[in-house]
Amino acid sequence: MSAAETAKSVLRRLTAASATERILISFAALVLAVVVGAVIILVSGRVTTCQTAATTLFGTGFCYDPVEVYLVLFNGALGEPFLVNSPGILKPLNPDWNPLNFGFALTLKETTLLIFTGLSVAVSFRAGLFNIGTQGQLVLGGLATALFSFFVAPLLPSGLVGGLILIPLAVIVGALVGGLYGAIPGALKAYADANEVITTIMLNFIAAQIAFVLVSEFFGNPDSQVVETTPLPDWATLLPVAFPQGGDFSLLALAFGLALVVAVWFLLEQTSFGYDLRTSGEQPEAAEYGGVDAKHTTVTSMFLSGALGGMGGAIWVLMVMGKWQAGVPSLGFDGITVSILAGNNPFGVVPAALLFGTLKSGSLAVQFGTGVPKQLVGVLRGLIILFVAMPEFFRMLGSAIDLEPDRETVATDGGRLGGDDE
Amino acid sequence: MSTTTIDRLRDTELSYRATLVGGAVSVFLLIALLGLAFPTSIWGNFLAILTSRSTLSSALRLSVPITFAALGGIFSEKAGVVNIGLEGLLIISAFTAVITTAIVGPEMTVVGLPAIWIGFFAGVLSSVLFSALFAVVCIRFKADQIIAGLAVWLIALGLAPFAATVYYGGVNTDNLGTTLGTWTIPVLSDIPFFGAFFDADPAVYMMLVAVPASWYVLNRTAFGRHVRASGENPKALDTVGVDVSRVRYAGVLLSGFLAGIGGSALSLGLGQFVGNNQTMVNGKGFIAIVAFLFGNYNPVGAFGASFLFAGLEAAQIRLQQVPGYGVPDSLIQTIPYVTVLVVLALVGRTRIPAASGEHYDTGDDNR
Repeated sequence: MSAAETAKSVLRRLTAASATERILISFAALVLAVVVGAVIILVSGRVTTCQTAATTLFGTGFCYDPVEVYLVLFNGALGEPFLVNSPGILKPLNPDWNPLNFGFALTLKETTLLIFTGLSVAVSFRAGLFNIGTQGQLVLGGLATALFSFFVAPLLPSGLVGGLILIPLAVIVGALVGGLYGAIPGALKAYADANEVITTIMLNFIAAQIAFVLVSEFFGNPDSQVVETTPLPDWATLLPVAFPQGGDFSLLALAFGLALVVAVWFLLEQTSFGYDLRTSGEQPEAAEYGGVDAKHTTVTSMFLSGALGGMGGAIWVLMVMGKWQAGVPSLGFDGITVSILAGNNPFGVVPAALLFGTLKSGSLAVQFGTGVPKQLVGVLRGLIILFVAMPEFFRMLGSAIDLEPDRETVATDGGRLGGDDE
Repeated sequence: MSTTTIDRLRDTELSYRATLVGGAVSVFLLIALLGLAFPTSIWGNFLAILTSRSTLSSALRLSVPITFAALGGIFSEKAGVVNIGLEGLLIISAFTAVITTAIVGPEMTVVGLPAIWIGFFAGVLSSVLFSALFAVVCIRFKADQIIAGLAVWLIALGLAPFAATVYYGGVNTDNLGTTLGTWTIPVLSDIPFFGAFFDADPAVYMMLVAVPASWYVLNRTAFGRHVRASGENPKALDTVGVDVSRVRYAGVLLSGFLAGIGGSALSLGLGQFVGNNQTMVNGKGFIAIVAFLFGNYNPVGAFGASFLFAGLEAAQIRLQQVPGYGVPDSLIQTIPYVTVLVVLALVGRTRIPAASGEHYDTGDDNR
């Protein structure tokens, strides 16, 4: 058997591990995170003070009721299709509910952004590279988009034609800058053997500071007290279609994100580059032996991952803000959760992003409706990652109640967790 | 690996470090030379900052969390568990220390112990509990150590601001109005410049004890031998009848204990926990990882590297106060991070413990 064939068979064996099992693990992890989250809500309900207890368990009053919190969360994320404040277990439908509502727009906005960052993380994880730097790549990519659009917009005819030319170019600029910033830790890893986890985290700090300096010192909006760039004209941004104005959600961006999902899947699964990328993630020695240029693959994978992160930043600027503003939300870190939940599978990123988008958007409703701080999502983010990382726990649980026989350990070093088949 | 390759590796490592240390010394000499030649220029300012006692004392204070986290990282990684969650341990202990002190009441004394010290120990305890969770996940449930470590970081990053918001209504805690204070040793503290060593935060003294103590434990005791074997050659350790899992649990718990001291000292030194963005820990846990890599898993070397990074931070803070040259503060703030990157790029090829990051199956599991 030739070296390439060896590598191929190893790859097949690794990826053939049961897809259903991996999906089950993601679900179990999610359920467990929600349960632990509920406990945290209960405990914090004892610490805080309130007039009347929201719920009473074992004779003790708690200020927050976890069931209500999750109900409000999902209801809020969908724009209140149910009247949760009415008494009883079964909540009546809200007669005024319209699918094109503000809450749902917020959910889809988060989902769209998380598709980009989730894909970014997924590509690098599949290559066996822990790119924690999507956040920094997104920050700089977004800034590049904002500045490019700001300087080029006056040269173009305003209106639809200008937008059709400018918006794609601006996204490409964001992707390039994010990609180059991602290539730095790639090159450091390939040529200096510097651990990419540490370098990408350091580069996150550096990106935030550089962007801050560039905007506060050189490219800031002179009319603003905040560190931000001058707002772009409406025609140069992605305006909401069908959804309400304030939701900052554009169907175009979502469609672009979904197209990228297919493109990334195609690249990973159907091209020889994707094959090299996956093999170097799953079996680096076999890949080298099979003639893969590991250094080159590392740098290219990181460029690609960074470019996806940069595009996420571009979409954040063009769809949500209409400008770049300091204090970029932690979309890059959320992307890690999305990718891990999706088993680093491009198609899995879509439901994972929708789920996490729901959590993020619903957390605002939770804060308004129940007083539980929206930072709860940050806790859930970590818990989900922790539980997905320990499949052995669920296997032990599963074999204890005799559900399924043991399988091989899931390879998290670039192996995909929730993939279908080869 | 043959002896010659090991020797060669050791030689290249040494030359890397020699270059770096030599580089740092020559940069300092250059600044000193320029500063003495042109006392009124920027270089004069640099020299004044680098040789001032207050820079030394803030460098010592700033190196406390980094050094303790680095010492913890050494024990964990030497035992064979890569602990990338040090940042999370610092965050959780920093927060717990402040909130416990606040709940007890900053000016209260319980069984002769001031509230702030109760907070300090509570912070350490929280970090130990968190590391215990991490240890179980990694050792018992064989989780990927990098991902589990990231989870520890992200949980702490979410939990601390969440709990602060529940209790205070915002991500920052209120200021306690009290700090760990300083312990001043009479006479010795009057020495110019080096007197900063004897007029410092209690945690600085702890650090100056912990560094040689860690070195001793690691290199001169049976436990240290077990820890090193557990990371290098767990099979051999198993063969002589030592429980590898137990040694690894001990290594990880010890890393939680040490990082907890660093985190508690960080927040109680200020009297407040700051939870914005990356919280007040702001990457110190990750810098600690680079510090012990740079120090080649040697506690003394790790302290040297931590002190270098902290010194840059201290100089950077002082530099911001010097008027008259137009470098923006935010850019100066990147100096420590950039240095960490450069260091990592130069010493990236550290030889990590052979079995670090791998699960060890004793084979006597019931499955």
